[in-house]
Amino acid sequence: MEYRYIIVLGIALLSVSAIILYATYPTRPIIRVRIATTTSLYATGLLEYISSRFTEVHRNTELQFIAVGSGAALRYAERGDVCAILIHEPGLEKLYIERGAIEGQRILAYSFFVIVGPENDPANVSSALDVVDAFRRVYRVAEEGLIRFISRADNSGTHNREMKIWNLIGVSPRDKPWYIECGCGMDQALIMASEFKGYTLSDVGTYTVLKAKGRIQNVKILYGNASDDLMLNIYSGYLASGCRGTERMYAELFLDFIYSDPDIVNSFGVEEYGVRLFYHSRHYEGSILDAWNRLALSG
Amino acid sequence: MSEVFDTIVRSIIVSGIATALASLWSIPLTYLLVLRNRRAMVMEVIIETLVGIPTVLLGLLLYMLLSSSGPLGFLNLLYTPQAMIIGESILITPLIISVSYRSIRDMAKLYHELALSIGADRFQRIRLIIGQSLPGVVAACITGFSRAIGELGIAMMIGGNIRGYTRVMTTAIALEVAKGNFEEAITLGIALLAITISISIAIKLLSRVRIT
Repeated sequence: MEYRYIIVLGIALLSVSAIILYATYPTRPIIRVRIATTTSLYATGLLEYISSRFTEVHRNTELQFIAVGSGAALRYAERGDVCAILIHEPGLEKLYIERGAIEGQRILAYSFFVIVGPENDPANVSSALDVVDAFRRVYRVAEEGLIRFISRADNSGTHNREMKIWNLIGVSPRDKPWYIECGCGMDQALIMASEFKGYTLSDVGTYTVLKAKGRIQNVKILYGNASDDLMLNIYSGYLASGCRGTERMYAELFLDFIYSDPDIVNSFGVEEYGVRLFYHSRHYEGSILDAWNRLALSG
Repeated sequence: MSEVFDTIVRSIIVSGIATALASLWSIPLTYLLVLRNRRAMVMEVIIETLVGIPTVLLGLLLYMLLSSSGPLGFLNLLYTPQAMIIGESILITPLIISVSYRSIRDMAKLYHELALSIGADRFQRIRLIIGQSLPGVVAACITGFSRAIGELGIAMMIGGNIRGYTRVMTTAIALEVAKGNFEEAITLGIALLAITISISIAIKLLSRVRIT
């Protein structure tokens, strides 16, 4: 007798789930475009903002963002798991372009890296001559045991830039007790810097957003230099070579959508945070491409 | 390679201490729950619900407590292995209670009248029940250990995944995935599984030896 109840229950469950499936099944075809992106673009909300503008025009598309580090984004593109990527790691980008994994580069936006540290600035970074000098100051004071430096250590664009600057000084901070490798995203590294009253290298967008939310009260921007290649953060969009068909068409449309309208990028966040978080490459394409090439060549 | 070894050892130590700590209060509490013989329905439901608490939620709550602007910020515990141990022991407490509760309750039912019929006093009765339910309690602790060692949310949020300090296997796997090093992540994942399985087997064997 009990078997009968189980069978009836099974049929009931099956039919209910079938009805739910049927009711939620999309009636009009929706084109899903999978895009892997660096966390900084996603965490600041820029992509959601652009995507809502894009889907107003192309109503039958659904943009799906996967926020990961630049290294992972490139791997996803190579494996064909995403159709487009938005990243900021010229050295790695060049490598994958040469491998044929990604193509159709569009330099979409740029912003700046800044050195973030405690209010009282024990390393006196704010009076540094350039970024290399600033890192040298951090190194010297950290060796005295006064401060800590938080490193992303996650193979992201920001982390690789940090490593490049240490290399220029000719020191290796790894394994130093004051050098904290958190293996985390920018937001968490900033929170950690604030907790430890330490220094870190950040992109200006993530810093601004977190600061406005009151999450990082113990740190502020101590050094920034808009005219230095090393502090320039260039975001490029690519198509994955393995992506074909309508998804590729719409991915390309999306990249062009950002590329063709400087206003979307430039206006983002101005109202909310009072400053521009990202800058569109329009009018500076040549010089930014030059800077990209220099950065890509120097690894 | 030694860095991987360090991470593995740290994982085992952190989860091991967390399990020991959690069983310190979970197991007496469970015996109390069964032996006081109250209508424990409500407790049962609450605890069984807490078993499935999302680790990131618990991690977030603990983070807000321990953060330097939080109420327990003065302890300076955030981003330390100690904080991870505390967090994970809290996480697995409901799990250990709910798994061991069942085994203790069954044994209590089974042996309560038997003990009465052979004229055992209250103390002897409790001793019999404790002895008989031990394998179930050990199994509960192993389940708790596996949950602690395989958990990511708390380790990430209040451990911080600091290399050489709070990086454990799950956060290392998450990091390798984020870096795009899927092969390394798989290797670590296999190591994690192998360790959890062998530790469980070892404890099972040990507890069986003690009983016979």
